[in-house]
Amino acid sequence: MTASPPPPPPSATTCPQGQVDPRRTSCPQARATSHAPRRRAPPPRPAPFALLALAFALLLPAGVRADDAVIHLWHAYRGVEEEALAAILDAHRRAGGPRVELLALPYDAFGSKLGAAIPLGEGPDLYIDSHERLGDYQKRGIVAPVADAFEGPAAFFANTIEAVSLGGAPWALPLSQKCVALYINLDLVDAPPATLEGISVLRDSLPPGAFPLVYESQSAYAHAALLGAFGGALLGPGDSFGFVGEPAERSLDLARALIDQRLVPADADGALVTNLFRAGKAAYAISGPWLAADLALAPDLHYRVAPLPAVEAAGGAPMRPLLTVEAVMLSPQGAQRAEVRALARHLASASAAQIRQDRARTLSARADVALPPGDDLLAAFAAQAAVAIPMPSSPAMRATWEPAQRALKKVLRGEASPRDATEGAQRRFDDVRRPPPPAASPTPLLILLGLLSLAGAFALVRRARSGELLPELRRSLPAYRYTAHAVVIVGLLVIAPLLVGAATSLFAGRPQDGLYVGLANFVEILTARGGPLLASGSFYVVLLVTLLWTLTNVIFHLAIGVSLGALLSRPTMRLRGLYRVLLIIPWAVPNYVTALAWKGMFHRQYGAVTGLIEGLNHLFGFNLEPIAWFSRFSTAFAANCATNIWLGFPFMMVVTLGALTGVPADVLEAAEVDGASRWQRLWRVTLPIIRPTLAPAVTLGAIWTFNMFNVVFLVSGGEPDGTTDILVSEAYRWAFTRDAQYGYAAAYAVLIFLMLFAITRLGELRSARRAARDRAAAAQAGAPGGVR
Amino acid sequence: MVEVSVRNVKKSFGATEVLRGVDVLVPAGGFAVLVGPSGCGKSTLLRLLAGLEEVSAGTIHFGEREVTHLEPRERDIAMVFQSYALYPHLSVRDNLAFGLRLRKTDDAVIRQRVDEVAGMLGLGALLDRLPKALSGGQRQRVAMGRAIVRRPALFLFDEPLSNLDAALRAQVRVDIRRLHDQLGATSVYVTHDQVEAMTLADVMFVLNRGVVEQAGAPLTVYDAPATRFVAGFLGSPAMNFVQGVIEASGDQLRVRVGVGDESLPIPAGEFTSPALIPGLRVDVGVRPHDLVLAPPGAAAFELSVDYVELLGPEIQAHGALAGAPIVAALETQSNARKGDRIPLSVKRLQLFDAESGRSLR
Ligand SMILES: Nc1ncnc2c1ncn2[C@@H]1O[C@H](COP(=O)(O)OP(=O)(O)O)[C@@H](O)[C@H]1O
Ligand SMILES: [Mg+2]
Repeated sequence: MTASPPPPPPSATTCPQGQVDPRRTSCPQARATSHAPRRRAPPPRPAPFALLALAFALLLPAGVRADDAVIHLWHAYRGVEEEALAAILDAHRRAGGPRVELLALPYDAFGSKLGAAIPLGEGPDLYIDSHERLGDYQKRGIVAPVADAFEGPAAFFANTIEAVSLGGAPWALPLSQKCVALYINLDLVDAPPATLEGISVLRDSLPPGAFPLVYESQSAYAHAALLGAFGGALLGPGDSFGFVGEPAERSLDLARALIDQRLVPADADGALVTNLFRAGKAAYAISGPWLAADLALAPDLHYRVAPLPAVEAAGGAPMRPLLTVEAVMLSPQGAQRAEVRALARHLASASAAQIRQDRARTLSARADVALPPGDDLLAAFAAQAAVAIPMPSSPAMRATWEPAQRALKKVLRGEASPRDATEGAQRRFDDVRRPPPPAASPTPLLILLGLLSLAGAFALVRRARSGELLPELRRSLPAYRYTAHAVVIVGLLVIAPLLVGAATSLFAGRPQDGLYVGLANFVEILTARGGPLLASGSFYVVLLVTLLWTLTNVIFHLAIGVSLGALLSRPTMRLRGLYRVLLIIPWAVPNYVTALAWKGMFHRQYGAVTGLIEGLNHLFGFNLEPIAWFSRFSTAFAANCATNIWLGFPFMMVVTLGALTGVPADVLEAAEVDGASRWQRLWRVTLPIIRPTLAPAVTLGAIWTFNMFNVVFLVSGGEPDGTTDILVSEAYRWAFTRDAQYGYAAAYAVLIFLMLFAITRLGELRSARRAARDRAAAAQAGAPGGVR
Repeated sequence: MVEVSVRNVKKSFGATEVLRGVDVLVPAGGFAVLVGPSGCGKSTLLRLLAGLEEVSAGTIHFGEREVTHLEPRERDIAMVFQSYALYPHLSVRDNLAFGLRLRKTDDAVIRQRVDEVAGMLGLGALLDRLPKALSGGQRQRVAMGRAIVRRPALFLFDEPLSNLDAALRAQVRVDIRRLHDQLGATSVYVTHDQVEAMTLADVMFVLNRGVVEQAGAPLTVYDAPATRFVAGFLGSPAMNFVQGVIEASGDQLRVRVGVGDESLPIPAGEFTSPALIPGLRVDVGVRPHDLVLAPPGAAAFELSVDYVELLGPEIQAHGALAGAPIVAALETQSNARKGDRIPLSVKRLQLFDAESGRSLR
């Protein structure tokens, strides 16, 4: 079996392009990594520590890093792969090589750390990363051509050279390769099918509940293998959208047919693929080496791996999965130094490849390293890699996942024909990829800033003239001394990022790219990118969804939280301490954990909700259909709300419990004697009294909900078709899944900020007015207690 | 206007028995005062009447109707709380109207009744204020108004005056009694202040440790306390107590007190208890106002004065008899001074069995 934590293939369902992505927790490769056998326990290296370490590294004066003899190497390896790297470097050093300092970073943070560190001269000399990021790195100037580190194409598989080449020249040295292949459960079948369509003969011979084949049918990454058989690709020539036209339509027809004939489960994600195959509920599975790592935990299962079958509908052409190549890349500084290039060459050498293969069972990118005899699994992956299609490394690839994915899901749900779906996807892709707005002149902004500073200076001078400023300043100097540190900290941690974000919104793409466009991003957003204002996905529609989302949640939070708080504050209740603790638990669990759990519960085939429905059917003879929660707006929205209500009511409950201690018991008794029922006491006495205490909590809850990224992103993920996305998750997509349009995303963030700011200010004004009214009433009453 | 009858009511909170079999009968339209030291269970009894607590045993009737297990709102009562318990979020007007609104009373009727009560209590100018903009006395009046406006059959008061200063208390006390006479509803009033109890009550119930020690008209209870506790609790300054032993002297009984030869005659015919026999150990009780300066020779005993309080209308001379502290309330003209030995005679005394504390009358 493989022991390698695979280089994250852009498993498109869950981890498009491996950007900072909370869903990585559910990615097969992430789990595979944690299951990978290790000879020693890996040191705990949670991301925050790595980030902290990096932050320190960045803050240190450059002089500390002046030790030229040392080579800095960054990587994202863990477990056995990290050990293999250490062994290779040991060998190099024994042979007289320079000292190498290693820094392991979380895979998700890799790109952004490189981008931040290298331009400052604080980055690595060389680093190991997946090839598909090369195009982006090249565009950002953080990778250099390999020059004499490359020993020539002959020693490597052609596929891998193609993967690391940009414009015909290699920009990295390939180390290893990874792709999906066919897993065969030998207890159910004894050989791979002749063709993909051939699995249909198994439909009646398999035990009940077992599928002929499982794969992530809704993932564009997995679907790419099918598309490859028809000669298609997700990204077409000249960075055009590739998932359109005849190959795309025919691949979609086939995928739909497989599901309609119940040869493949409809909505398997990575975890379900693993579970079904491991449980013997699938004759075949399409998955990567990470599945083998998981299967090590099921030693009773007999399986082997073979290349993916041919497709009859494609005239017998084989399925061709996407290939990911792990490669050494040189930073521009590192490329200048001969010893760095020598180290890179060594890392890609045959001897190093041999160590990786022996220690970590990695599939090498080199043609001249013999596979270990008798290792059928590695041999099968090698055979598969030979026909795999290297993932395009152009930055445009990043913008294909979301539209391709949505088209795929639409077709599989039967909501659109392959043609309509793919053409819609193409429009979406073209819209995202359309050229940035024309550069604007920064002059108006500069003039505005100039005028503002002038006005500020003028005001200052006037006050100085009046002779009050200096004495006042001197008088309040001690006060400044007390507040200075707070001002500095708030400035650094709150104000500065806010200003940077606001500034970013005035640029297209990254601000480093220097394309200043003025308010064009805002204009685009507020004009719905020129389309109809109420088109699906336009700012206004998303805003409406966000408002509906916030309102629904806050109402339920209040209703449930206040009712439970009122119940729990009744002194006659037994065990209320216990209930209080139990009810606070949903709040205490990190919300992404809860969100993932709820997403699991809403799974159409295997979720707890479906289990409940089946239980009801069984018990009462109902005939309820399991609900495909995420294929309709109403149900997907309801699933999101259910999750967030579960997460949010304890806060309101705790606030209510606190507020209720401010309701005098005898006032409630007075109401009881006055004739109020329990309900009337709550409604007419308790609630009005606690309202001023609850109001700020409601504002806070509304703001949290308005920005509740985790739940929306993790539970429905915007499905179906982005309709359940709220403003923050939409902003996230512009920044991270749509071609890195950071400026555009920042403009969203600024709009969100302005809206929330306005709402909060309004609330404050209202309560200030109420307070003033009360004060006036008190004043009118004269000195209370004086008049008797 | 109902008769209130509490029969053998017991109330426990967990293991502690707070009321241990209480009987109370208040005639319709009467003003009853429950009086007793703090913690004796007065409020608990009142809350049982209101329905805010469940009895552990016994029954409560309002007239013919048994209300023991009814909700407060089914009992046709109104209650004035010690803290007033005004609704802090409602104006005075809405505080007054709250109960009527809950009963879906017609708006015009509400307005008319609120105005009427506001006039009665002088709240007219305050109707639009929130409770926090009122003085203590004003709040008290609103609390009263809130009770009155509903025209209940029974008023319950739980120490309604204890948060007022002394001058105001005396005034409101009179107001409450006057309102009661005007409205005619039955009232049950809880207080620990025996002056309030004496001045307000038609019928008074002295509670101690969860039992009614004595019930009756205030003056009856004052003049003929049934127990040593009642005797000591009522009256200001409190009754003097001295231990003594009954002796026979000819055909008359006397009570010898202290170590010396001092003994007091027991007026014939007043103490008729069969327990009264020579040798019985008793507590002798004498109210300070029943000690009077005696002409020389007629004195029952001499009090050596160690402290004098000048109150204006009278003097309170403190001393001791047979080791027990004694207070005598004397006329100002008596001119008693510290260090004097003054001869005193006893106008009237009480005898209590030293063991049971019961009166030997
Ligand atoms: N809800 C309760 N739980 C437990 N003990 C109580 C409760 N209410 C009153 N008590 C106890 O009952 C006794 C009588 O209380 P209460 O009727 O309030 O006395 P008071 O005569 O001063 O009004 C006190 O000892 C008090 O501690
Ligand atoms: Mg009390």
